[in-house]
Amino acid sequence: MKELPGVVLASRNATVRYGDVVALDDVSISFSGGMIHAVVGQNGAGKTTFARMVSGLVRPAEGSLEINGRSIAGGNVNDARRAGVELVHQSFALPPSFTVAEAMQFGADGGRLYTRAALERRWQAHLDALDVKVSAGAQIRTLTVEQQQAVEIARALVTDASLLILDEPTAVLSPEGAEKLFERIRRLRERGVTIILILHKIREVLAVSDTVSVLRGGRLIDGPLPVADMDAERLASLIIGPSGREFAGDDLEALTGALSPVAGGADKTSAPQSEILSMRDLSTRTDGDGPPLNSVDLAVHAGEIVGVAGVEGNGQRTLVRAISGLADIMDGSLEIDGRDMTRSSLLARRAMGLRVIPFERNVEGLSLTSALWENWSVGQLLGRPLHAAITPKGLRQGCRAALDNWDVRYSTVEQRAGSLSGGNAQKVILSREMDDAARLIVAAQPTRGLDIGATAFVWEAMRDARRRGCGVLFVSSDLDEIFDIADRVVVMLAGKIVGEFRAPFDLASVGSAMTGARA
Amino acid sequence: MDDIVIAILRSGTPLVYVALAGVIAQRSGIWHLGLEGLMITGACATIVGTVLTGSVGLSLLIAVLLCALGSILFWFVVEVLKANQIIAGLGLTGLGLGGTSLAIQAIFGSQGAVSAPAGLPKIGAAFGAYGGLSVLVLAMPFVVFLTWVLLCRTRFGLRLAASGEHPFAARSVGANPAMMRLVALVIGGGFCALAGAELAAGSLQIFSQNMTAGRGFMGFAAVIFGAGHPVWATFAALFFAIVGAIGIRAQLVFGDRIPHDLLLGLPYIATVFGIWLSARLRGGARGATGGFGELKDP
Repeated sequence: MKELPGVVLASRNATVRYGDVVALDDVSISFSGGMIHAVVGQNGAGKTTFARMVSGLVRPAEGSLEINGRSIAGGNVNDARRAGVELVHQSFALPPSFTVAEAMQFGADGGRLYTRAALERRWQAHLDALDVKVSAGAQIRTLTVEQQQAVEIARALVTDASLLILDEPTAVLSPEGAEKLFERIRRLRERGVTIILILHKIREVLAVSDTVSVLRGGRLIDGPLPVADMDAERLASLIIGPSGREFAGDDLEALTGALSPVAGGADKTSAPQSEILSMRDLSTRTDGDGPPLNSVDLAVHAGEIVGVAGVEGNGQRTLVRAISGLADIMDGSLEIDGRDMTRSSLLARRAMGLRVIPFERNVEGLSLTSALWENWSVGQLLGRPLHAAITPKGLRQGCRAALDNWDVRYSTVEQRAGSLSGGNAQKVILSREMDDAARLIVAAQPTRGLDIGATAFVWEAMRDARRRGCGVLFVSSDLDEIFDIADRVVVMLAGKIVGEFRAPFDLASVGSAMTGARA
Repeated sequence: MDDIVIAILRSGTPLVYVALAGVIAQRSGIWHLGLEGLMITGACATIVGTVLTGSVGLSLLIAVLLCALGSILFWFVVEVLKANQIIAGLGLTGLGLGGTSLAIQAIFGSQGAVSAPAGLPKIGAAFGAYGGLSVLVLAMPFVVFLTWVLLCRTRFGLRLAASGEHPFAARSVGANPAMMRLVALVIGGGFCALAGAELAAGSLQIFSQNMTAGRGFMGFAAVIFGAGHPVWATFAALFFAIVGAIGIRAQLVFGDRIPHDLLLGLPYIATVFGIWLSARLRGGARGATGGFGELKDP
C-alpha cells in the first residue's frame, strides 16, 4: 500500500446556486487520500452538484476548493483535471458514434495527430492494463451499459487522476454489475487513487466505502464518518432527517436501499383475480429506441402490482409503447380486460381503462409551457367530438378539485406546469391518470428523480390503486423499489421476459436474471 | 473527353469547397444553411475587390475576411442569442444574396454583371489541356485531404465532433463547445469564400446577381449525402457536378427534343435523389441537433 497522501480534497464554505435555487449550501468538507468515500443523500440533496463543482463543471458562487493542496478557483474543467480530478458521469459522457479509442483520445493529452491503428494500439494497451475487456475499435453505441461504464472509468484514468468521482455509478447496473464495479474500485484504491462515490443505497455504502458523508437539502449533515462504526438505521435517519413522517412496512428500507437481500411481499393481499392485461407471444418491429419486444408473454391481474425489472435499455420502453398502442406490433396479441386490443388506438385503450404514467415526465407526461388546468384537462377532453364546446371554467374547477385531492402544492391552476417541482409535477400526472375509471395503470419509472417524500407518496398511490382492484404494471430499474411494492416481478433482458419471481424476492436470483446468467 | 472533365472540375470545385464548409459546421453541431449567402459574398468580394484594387490576391483575402465576419455573425446569433439555426442560416443566405446586389448597385450604379480585369491564377501550360483551370482546382484534393486529417485524425477533430454530438462530453474533458463551433464556422467561412472565388473568378471573371444559383444548398445536400464525412461529401459534390455536366452535354446531343430546362435541372434532381438515397441507406439523417435546429443543451 502506498503512503497516504493526506487531504486530497477540501472544500470550504462552498455554495452553488442555479438561478434562485441553492443547490449546495455552505459545504465544508475534506477527504483524505487512498480511501473510498461515499457521499449519500436523497434526490435533490446536492450530490451531483457537489461532484460537478469539484470537477469544474459548475462554479461555486462562494467558498473555495483545494485539490491535492492546490487551490482551485472552480468552474474550470481543465484546472480540475490538471489537479488530478476526473468525474465519471451518471449517464456517461461518451459520444455514441465514437470508437472506444477515439473516446479515450479526445480526453487525453499528447498524440495530436494519429493513425487509426496506432490509436487503437495505444488505448487497447490502456484498457488491457485496467482489465477492461472491450475492443478499442468498437463503437460506443454497440457497447452494453456496463461496458460503457468501464470505458468511461478507463477514460477518466487516461490522465494520472488521483481523485476519481463516480456519480451514481450503480444506478444503471445490475446487482452483479455493481459488485464487479466495486471490485474494480477497490483495485484502484490499492493503486493509490482516491475515490468518491455518489450513492443512494445504504447497502452499497456499507459494502464498499471507507467513509460516508450525508447531504440533505444542499447542506452537509455529517461526515466523512467512518463506515466501520455506522449502521443502516442510523444512516437512514441521517439521510431522511427529522421529518417525522411515518413510512409503511419496509418503505423506509426500500427508500434508502437498506432492504435485506430477501425481501418484499409483506402486504400481499388477496388471491389473483381476472386478467386485466394479457399479452401473448407479442413481438414488435425495431424502431430505433431500445430493442424490440421478442415473444413477450405477460399478464397483469386485477388487484395486483407487477414489477418490471431489468437494466435500463432492455425493452422496457418498447413494452410501455406496445401497451399504449405506439409500437408496431408484428406478431402476437394484446388483450385489455378480456377484449382484443392488439390493433386498437391509444384512445380505444384508454376507454377500456388504460392509464399511462410515462417515462419522461417533462416531455411525454406534461406540457411544461401549458397551464396546470390545461395539462389536467387533456384527460377529460379525450374522446369527445371535435365540435364539442369546452368550458374552461368547469375544467379549471375540476382541475382544482383534483389537484387538491392529490395534495399538489400549487398557487393557481393558471401557472405553468414547468414551474412545479418534480414531485408535484408527478402528482399532477397522477391526478390525471389515476381517476376512478382506471383499470390498468402502466407506471414507467414514476419515482425517478423524486425525493423520498414524493416517492413514498407515489408508492402509496399505487397501493391505493391495487386496493381498488386496478392492475398496475410498474417499470423500474431500482430493485429495492420493485421488491417493496410489487406482488410479482418479471425481468426484461434484450426485449424478452427472462424470468418471473414471486415474493419473497431474492436479490441474487433476480439480479442474475437481469444479466442473463440464468438464460 | 478532356473538355467534359474540365467542365466537371470547374463546376465541381466550388461545390466541394462549400460542402467542406458544411461538413465542418455539421460536425460541430450546426446545420449550416447560410452557405449560399457566404458563397455569394465570397464571389462578389473577389470580383469587386479585383476591380477596385487590381489585385486578385488582396481581393481573395478580403473575401475570406468578409466570410469569416459573416460566420462570426451567424455564430453570435445561433450560440449567444440562441436563435434557431435553420432560420438564422436562411437569414444569412438572404443577407448574402441581398447584400451583394446592394453592394453592386451602390458601387457601380447598376445591377448588371460586373467583370474583373483578372481572374485567379491558372495552373499553367505544364498541365496541357487542363492548364486553363485555376489553382483552387489544383488545391482542392489537398484541401480535402487536410480537412480529413483535421476532422478525423486529430484530437481537435474529435473534440469538434464531440461538441456537436455530445456537448456535455466535450465540456467534461475541458473543451468549450461554443468556441469549437466558432472555430468551425470561421474555417468554413474561409472555404465558402474560396468556393465563391472559384465560381466567379476561376474561369469567368464575372459576378452577377444570384450567380450561386443554389450551389450553397447543393453543398449542404452533399453534407447530408456524404454523411458528414469530408471525403464522402466531396464525392457527393463531384457527383452533382458530373450530373450537371451530363445535362449540358445532353443538350448538345438531344437539341430541342427534350426541354432544356429539364436538363439544366438535372443537378437539382440528382440532389433530391441523393438525399433520398442517403436517408434510405442510413435510416434518416441523425445529426447533432434535436428536433428543428435547436442547439442541444451543452
